[in-house]
Amino acid sequence: MNDRAAGRSVVGMIEIEHLTKRYGKKTAVDDLTFAVKPGVVTGFLGPNGAGKSTTMRAIVGLDAPTSGLARVNGKHYSEFRSPLTEVGALLEAKSVHAGRSAYKHLLALARTHGIPTKRVHEVIDLVGLHEVAGKRVGGFSLGMGQRLGIAVALLGDPAVLILDEPVNGLDPDGVKWIRLLLKGLASEGRTVFLSSHLMSELAQTAEHLIVIGQGKLLADTTVDDFVSGNGKARVRVVSPDAARLAEHLAGPGITIASPERGVLDVSGTEAAVVGQTAAAHGLVLHELRTDRGSLEDAFMQLTADAVEYRQTMEGAK
Amino acid sequence: MTAAAMTERPAYAPPQQYRLTFVGELRSEWTKLWSLRSTWIVLLCAVVFSGGLGALISASVPDEAAVGGADAALSFAMAGVSLSSVFVAVLGILTITGEYTTGSIRSTLSAAPKRLGMLFSKALVFGAVVAVLFTAMVFATFFMSQALLSGTEIGGVSLGDEGVLRALFGYVGMIVYLALLAIAIGAILRNSAGSIGFYVGVIMILPQLATLLPWEWVSDVVPYAPGNVPNTIAVVDTSMGTLGLGESWLWMGIWLVVAYGLAGVLLKRRDV
Ligand SMILES: Nc1ncnc2c1ncn2[C@@H]1O[C@H](COP(=O)(O)OP(=O)(O)OP(=O)(O)O)[C@@H](O)[C@H]1O
Ligand SMILES: [Mg+2]
Repeated sequence: MNDRAAGRSVVGMIEIEHLTKRYGKKTAVDDLTFAVKPGVVTGFLGPNGAGKSTTMRAIVGLDAPTSGLARVNGKHYSEFRSPLTEVGALLEAKSVHAGRSAYKHLLALARTHGIPTKRVHEVIDLVGLHEVAGKRVGGFSLGMGQRLGIAVALLGDPAVLILDEPVNGLDPDGVKWIRLLLKGLASEGRTVFLSSHLMSELAQTAEHLIVIGQGKLLADTTVDDFVSGNGKARVRVVSPDAARLAEHLAGPGITIASPERGVLDVSGTEAAVVGQTAAAHGLVLHELRTDRGSLEDAFMQLTADAVEYRQTMEGAK
Repeated sequence: MTAAAMTERPAYAPPQQYRLTFVGELRSEWTKLWSLRSTWIVLLCAVVFSGGLGALISASVPDEAAVGGADAALSFAMAGVSLSSVFVAVLGILTITGEYTTGSIRSTLSAAPKRLGMLFSKALVFGAVVAVLFTAMVFATFFMSQALLSGTEIGGVSLGDEGVLRALFGYVGMIVYLALLAIAIGAILRNSAGSIGFYVGVIMILPQLATLLPWEWVSDVVPYAPGNVPNTIAVVDTSMGTLGLGESWLWMGIWLVVAYGLAGVLLKRRDV
């Protein structure tokens, strides 16, 4: 991060520094530090309640940090002379008065900045709401509401886009459309920061990943590195001597989980090493295989300890 | 990330010609106000109520009751105007609490993150709309009422009579004041039912109920209650009130400063 070290801010850079947000006793975001760069789509990943929405609200100044900073281009959001052209935000849930039409909602926002009606029509066409623009938003489906939210975010043709679960409620066509849209926007040199709790979703859109759990940073990496780093080489061992084998395998950088009796999931090493260790100690193996693991597994592995709300029937751990 | 990789793609320059301005915020609030059906409905109710009730009462006053001078004439004519301040106050409250209950406040304050501009532009736009509408209503109702009262002892009140014009504008001032107060209450409480309840209970009813209490200090204080201070400005003969004309305006100003001061501080400090 040469530019940050030099104290300069890159255009469109989102910088989160030691951001902490508490709601009463509940710590939603806990000393979070990361930066989002222009020119690529950055995914913001975390399980439910991880603090994604809270972080995004802090960036657009809706929630004040308990401590730390959330800045864009080195400025606090409220310092911008034309916030809508600097940052476009889609925040979770409908942020529209149900009794107002989509057109009037956009028009009212446009007027604050002197953005012409022509641009309002443009974004309405862009998100495909032309037919229903004059209808009250209260009757919109989830997907239509989401499209309106995207139209709002694009209204000022901003340098930075912050989108909280934009794919939520969109049909497959819509999902494909937004993927292309976001990639296109990033390729124009804009900063695109979008949250999701679905790894598979982000993997197809994002190049870079910020992963958080319980308000803490878990990973700040490229999608490729994330996949090869976390999704790699989990060795599944089935052995009647699982407990003893685990003792022999234990070592720095090696994590061992036992999803069920007699079964070990070993990561941080290779099948060959596990086999040799077993042989060296005369332990019987019934099965030895390498699981590549899906992206979703990688994500779940990473956030396993940080999941806020989990089902009572727990899966493998 | 190296500097080279950083400049791999050209930097995007957002449009430069747009600015967030207070005039822009005023226009935005104007658009928002008139794009809700509830605005039209509630204002129509206020108009029908103030004109209709004024006419109804003026038409049905028996000759022997139509005595007492200009103030009596105005109290008959303006009965509906005074009551329709409730409609106006409720609408004022909804212009702001409606944003919180629907979540549109997030959009509004993302576009105007300094926040205070939102509150003041809302107040200014709504206050101006109410001022224009009720100036028309007050005068229309006055002339209509005078026509209906003609032939009675209080039928000959003219705009030129001392204090009449001032009192009529006083009614407008009172309604605008209550509308502005309502917006501030909505901004403070952020909840429709709570704000309307507070307005009706504390601003409208409590001062009336309080006069029933046996303690003397209560009746000393009651004229200074936020809902009572504008009373003097809407009467022709101001010598009867506890507050003088100037004091009445002063106290309206004081209450608005208190209400907007609190609303502004809370708006700045609270999360949206
Ligand atoms: N306004 C608030 N008041 C109190 N607690 C809050 C508030 N907003 C968020 N929280 C809490 O902070 C934590 C983080 O919430 P946040 O909405 O940021 O999570 P998220 O990552 O967006 O989750 P999801 O994937 O479900 O959208 C949660 O435990 C939530 O209950
Ligand atoms: Mg969320």
